[in-house]
Amino acid sequence: MEYKNPEIAEVAKQLHEKFAKLKDKRAILRAAELTALYDRIKTLPPDERASFGKEINELKKELESMVRKSVTSNLSPVTSIDVTAPFDMNVKPENRPKLLPAENGSRHPLMTELDIILDIFYRMGFAAVESRELDDDYHMFGSLNFPKDHPARDEYDTFVTDEDLVAPAHTSIMQNRVFKSMEIPIRAVIPGRVFRNEDLDARHEHTFYQLEGVYVDKGIHAGHLVATIRAWLSSYYEREIKIKIQPFYFPFTEPSFEFAASCIFCEGRGCNVCSHTGWIELGGCGMIHPNVLREGGIDPAKYTGFAWGFGIDRLVMLKYNIEDVRHFHSGNLKFLRQFA
Amino acid sequence: MKVSINWIREIIKNDQCSADPMPDGIEALVEKIGAQLGAVEEVIDIGKKYQGIVVAKVVKCQKHPNADKLSVCLIDDGKAVKKVKRDSKGMIEVVCGAPNVAAGQLVVWMPPGVAVPSTVDKEPFVLEAKEIRGVVSNGMIASLQELALGDDHTGILVIEDTKSKNQTSNIKPGMPFAKVYGLDDYIIDIENKMFTHRPDLFGMLGVARELAGVQNMVFRSPKWYLGDKTTGSHKTDAQLLGAKNEIPKLVPHFMLQVVKNVKIAPSSMEIQSYLARLGVRPINNIVDITNYLMLETAQPIHAYDYDKVKGVSSGSMAHIVVRQAKTGEKLLLLGGKVVTLEGGELVIATNKQAIGLAGVMGGAATEVDKNTKNIILEVGTFDMNVTRKTAMTYGLFTDAATRFTKNQSPWQNDRVLARAVDFVIHESGGLPARSIYDLKGSLKPAPQVRTTTQFINERLGLKLTASQIKKLLENVEFKVQASEDALKIDVPFWRTDIVIPEDIVEEVGRLYGYDHLPLELPKKDLTPAAVNEKLTFKDRARQILLAAGANEVLTYSFVHGSLIEKAGQDIKDAYHIRNALSPDLQYYRLSLTPSLLEKVYPNIKAGSDHFALYEIGRAHIKNVLDKEKLPTELERLAMVITTLQNPPNWGAPYFVAKKFSDYLIQKVGIKSAQFNMLENVKKLPRAWFIAAQAFEARRSAVIYSGDNIVGLSGEPSLNLRAKLKLPPRTAQAELDLAVIQGLAVKTVDYRPLNKFPAVEQDICLRTATDLSYGELTDFVMKTLGRISDDHGYNHWLSPVDIYQRSEDKSRKQTTWHIVLSHPGKTMTTAEANKVLDKIAIDAKAKFKAERI
Repeated sequence: MEYKNPEIAEVAKQLHEKFAKLKDKRAILRAAELTALYDRIKTLPPDERASFGKEINELKKELESMVRKSVTSNLSPVTSIDVTAPFDMNVKPENRPKLLPAENGSRHPLMTELDIILDIFYRMGFAAVESRELDDDYHMFGSLNFPKDHPARDEYDTFVTDEDLVAPAHTSIMQNRVFKSMEIPIRAVIPGRVFRNEDLDARHEHTFYQLEGVYVDKGIHAGHLVATIRAWLSSYYEREIKIKIQPFYFPFTEPSFEFAASCIFCEGRGCNVCSHTGWIELGGCGMIHPNVLREGGIDPAKYTGFAWGFGIDRLVMLKYNIEDVRHFHSGNLKFLRQFA
Repeated sequence: MKVSINWIREIIKNDQCSADPMPDGIEALVEKIGAQLGAVEEVIDIGKKYQGIVVAKVVKCQKHPNADKLSVCLIDDGKAVKKVKRDSKGMIEVVCGAPNVAAGQLVVWMPPGVAVPSTVDKEPFVLEAKEIRGVVSNGMIASLQELALGDDHTGILVIEDTKSKNQTSNIKPGMPFAKVYGLDDYIIDIENKMFTHRPDLFGMLGVARELAGVQNMVFRSPKWYLGDKTTGSHKTDAQLLGAKNEIPKLVPHFMLQVVKNVKIAPSSMEIQSYLARLGVRPINNIVDITNYLMLETAQPIHAYDYDKVKGVSSGSMAHIVVRQAKTGEKLLLLGGKVVTLEGGELVIATNKQAIGLAGVMGGAATEVDKNTKNIILEVGTFDMNVTRKTAMTYGLFTDAATRFTKNQSPWQNDRVLARAVDFVIHESGGLPARSIYDLKGSLKPAPQVRTTTQFINERLGLKLTASQIKKLLENVEFKVQASEDALKIDVPFWRTDIVIPEDIVEEVGRLYGYDHLPLELPKKDLTPAAVNEKLTFKDRARQILLAAGANEVLTYSFVHGSLIEKAGQDIKDAYHIRNALSPDLQYYRLSLTPSLLEKVYPNIKAGSDHFALYEIGRAHIKNVLDKEKLPTELERLAMVITTLQNPPNWGAPYFVAKKFSDYLIQKVGIKSAQFNMLENVKKLPRAWFIAAQAFEARRSAVIYSGDNIVGLSGEPSLNLRAKLKLPPRTAQAELDLAVIQGLAVKTVDYRPLNKFPAVEQDICLRTATDLSYGELTDFVMKTLGRISDDHGYNHWLSPVDIYQRSEDKSRKQTTWHIVLSHPGKTMTTAEANKVLDKIAIDAKAKFKAERI
C-alpha cells in the first residue's frame, strides 16, 4: 500500500516492521505511532485535515486486515487423519492436546442461579419439569383458558412460525402436561427459556429464563400461595422477606395477582434499585382457573391450586448488580469468567 | 387508564349516594388502588400547574398609547395577589394583545412570578412585571392555549363566555382559577393491563364504583344509568332514516337517533376541562360530547353528519346499516387514511358504501364539521373479537377499540344514548327526532351466579360470613340473596366479566383486601419430590466441563438465515419465524455449533487467545417430531475450543476436539465410544446429517456407542472457518445429551488396589500407515485381555507414541505402555514378556506388524 503523505508513509513502514516482530499481532491496532497520527490531525491547517484523515483511515484498515489474516491464515490443508487415534502422528507428549486449566472454567450465571433456586424448591417438595422452546397454540393459549382471538393474547407478543407453532412466551405451556402426567398432590416447578417479541436494549431481552410453579391439592387457597412465595424468597435471600400482592389479570388464574418482594437492598426503606418504593416487582401468580384444571383432567370442584411465575434473569441482575441484560447471551468471556 | 379524582368525586356524590372517595388523602388512596385495583403508574397533580393563577375582572380597557394592537387593562383581583404593583384603588395594570378583551369581563390572570401552565412540563416560562412599549404589564391575561386547556390562541379565555350561568355567579375576582373548572385535580394513571377483563373500568363511573367498593363504602349508580329508556320509531320520521342491523350476532345492540338543528361551536369550558385533564383534545361540542360520555361510561359513541350520510346514500333517504365488510371495499377514515378491507370487518355503511369501521374509527365522508346542521348519534355494541382483529389488521388502537375489545355490556346503550341526546340539546341547542332506532339481537341477561360462603372461604383461606360477603358485593351494586351458606348473586349488567363462582371469589377477595389473607404454608406429607434426571445430568456435564476449563455460554435459539447457509445447512429445514424482530432472529437453529463459532472471533478481538466455549441447548428441525407430534427438542451439548497459536508440530486440531469429547464421555462412565471418520460414514440420521454440515468431513468423526450416535467431533468446515474468521486451530463438537445421559453410569468400575508389585513394559509395533490406530489398539487390547484372563492378571494399556519416519510414509510405529499385575503374587518380568511376545506374534499374523 502506497501512502501519498510522507509522514504517513513513514509511520506505515515503521508499523509494518513492528508487525513482523509482534507476538500478539492484535497489538498493532493499539500502537502508539497510530494514535500519534490521529492526534496530528488537529494540528494541521483545516484544508489538509480531510485528506490526511482519509489516509490514516486507510492505514488503519490495512492494519486491521493484516491482523485478520494473521488470525485466520495458514489454513491447514484438508488431509485425512486417523480419527481413531488419541493424538496426531509424531506429536511429542508436551505438544499433545490438553484440557484447559480448571481455573479458566465458568458456569453461566443464569444456570448457576437456576440451580440454587431449583434446590430451594426441591427442598420444599417441588419436582422440576423442563419447559419446551417450540410449542403449539394449544399449550401456549388454548389449554390456558385463552379463547381464540381473545384480546388477552395481545399481552403476549409471541413469535410464531410459518406452521403456526409458537416460541413460548411463558413456561405455563407445561401446566397442562404437568396436570395430566402427575399425581395429586401436584407440586412442580417449571424452568425454561421463553421468548417475547421485544426489541433489545439494556433492560429488555427477547430471550430470557422463567420459572413457573404449580401446586394442586384439596383445600389449597390464596393464603397458601402468598406464604409459599414468601418462604422461597426468604430462603433465597437468607432473610425474612415481605410479600405484597396486587390484583392483576391473567386468563389462566382467578383471582390473579402480581407479586413484589420487600427490597433486599434497603429493607423496604426505598433506594435506587426499588425506585424508592421499597418493593421489587418479581412476577405474576394466582389461583389456577377452573377451566385450566378441567382441561388438565383435574376436577375443579374437588381440587384447587395456585401457580406463580417469575423471571430468572432479573433476579440474577439484582443479585450481582448486572447493568445490561444483553450480557447474558453475548458469549463475552470478560463477562462469563467473572462467575465461577 | 387515566382517572380524574374530581370526576370520581362528582360521580360518587350523585342522586343515589354520597361518599368521599379520598377520605385519607391522595397517598392513602393511591396505595389502596395499588393493593386492590391495580398498579399505579403515575399520579399527576394538575392543580400545581395553576398555582397562583387567579380570576380577575377587567374594570377598564383602553388602547395602548404606543401600539395599535395592544390594550392596557386595569384589572381587579379582589386583592388576592400579594407583592404586585397596584394603583390607588388597588387595581393592577396589565397589557393585553388579545382582540377580544373588554371591560367587564371575568378573565384569568397570571400574575408576575407565575409560570405559564403550557410551559410547565417543558421549560417553565416564569412571568415578571415587564415594560411593553412604555407601559408596565404586571403578568398576563391568559388564553386557552397558555392554560394548556386547548389550542386556541386567538384570544383570551373569558369566563363569562361559558354557558353555565349558575357557575359564573359563584366566580369572584381573586378566586384561584383551578377551582373554576375543577382543575384542582389529581390524575391517577392506572396500568391498563389490570383491566383487560373489566369493561366497566374504562369509564369514570366504573372506577368510582370500584374506589367506593374497595374502601367499603356504598356506591349507587346515578339514576340516569339505571332503568330502561323508551325507544321506538314514529310515523312522522318515516322518511328520516333507513336503519338496519344485518348482523345482530356480532352487533348485539345498535341504537341510532337523529338530532336536528345543532349549532356546532366549541364546548363549554366545563366539558373542555374534563377532556383536557384526561388528555383528550377538545374538538367541537358534538365530538366532545361523544368523548365525554365515553370517558364517563366506557361506552364509545359516534356522531355522523346527517346530511353527509344522506349524500352518500342512494335514493332520497339517509341510510345507516351495520354489516360485515365485503372483500376489497374501500373506506376513507377520519384523518385521511384509506383502507382496503379484507372482508368480514364490522362496518357502518349507507345503502351504497361503507362510511366507518364499526367500533374502531369513523369515516371522513360523514364527519361532523363546523358546517354540520343535523347529526345522527350511534351507540352500538360491537363484537370484541372481530373488533380486535380489525384494530390489529389496520394498526388502529383507538380509544373506542380499546373499550370494545373488553366486551362492553349491551345493556347500557339506551341510557347512554338518552344522556348523549340530553347533552347535545344542552350544549348545541339541537332538536331530537322522536324516533329512537333500537336494533338488537337477543341480549343475554346478566348472569346469576350461585355459590356458597364455604366455596369462597376455601379459596381465600378466610372465614367471612354470608352477611360480610353480601355487604362487600352490594356496595358495588351486586344483588345478593343469602340463605345460610348458599349465595344467589345477581351480577350487574356492566360486569360482563363475571360468569363463574371463581369470579365472585376474586371480587370478594379484592374488595375485602388481599392483605387479610392468612399466610400459612400448605400441609404436605414427607414423600420426597421426584428427581429430574435430565436436569441433574446437565448439571453433571457442567461440573465436568468446568473442571476442563471450559466456559459455559448461552446463545439465542434463533439465528440468521445466513449463518445456517454458512454452515452448509439448508434454511428449508429450519422453522421460520414469520414475525421476527430482525433477520438475525429469523430461524430456529438446526444445530448449536454454528452459534458457538460465531462467538469465537469477537472474543479473540477482545483479547482472548485460548479458550473453550460450550453450550447446553436445543436444536429443532422441521419434520423431526416427537411423541406429541411436535418438533423434537434435540438436547445438545456443543463445544468449541480455539487458540491463536498453531505450531506445525502440534498435529491436527481434530485431536483437541477429541480430547474434550472423550474426556466428557469417559467422565460419565461411557467406555465404548468409537470414533469413525465422518467422510466414511455413509448413512446418518437426518438431524445428524444436518449438524455434520458444519464439520470438515475428513477431519471429523462421528462418535458411536454401539448403534447410538453420541455426536460429532472435529474441525469446522473450511467455509465456516473463513466466513467466521476462525483461527486455524479451532476444534468443535456437537453431542447428543439425551443419548449420553442414557448411556452414562452413576457408579464407578472400582478395582481393588494392588497388594503385589506390577510390571510395566512398553510395546512398539510397526504397521502400515493406513491401519487405523483404533483397529490395531482394539486388537492389542483384546489379545492382552484374553491372555490376562487366562492367567488371572490385571492389565492396563495406554498409548505412548505414534511415530512415522519422514523417509517412509507408508508405515508407522505405535507404542503402548502396558501394566500387568497379579492379585495374589508378585508379577515377574518373564511373565510379562510372555504376554507382550504373544501380542507381537498375533499382531504379526493378523497385520504383518513388526515388533520394534
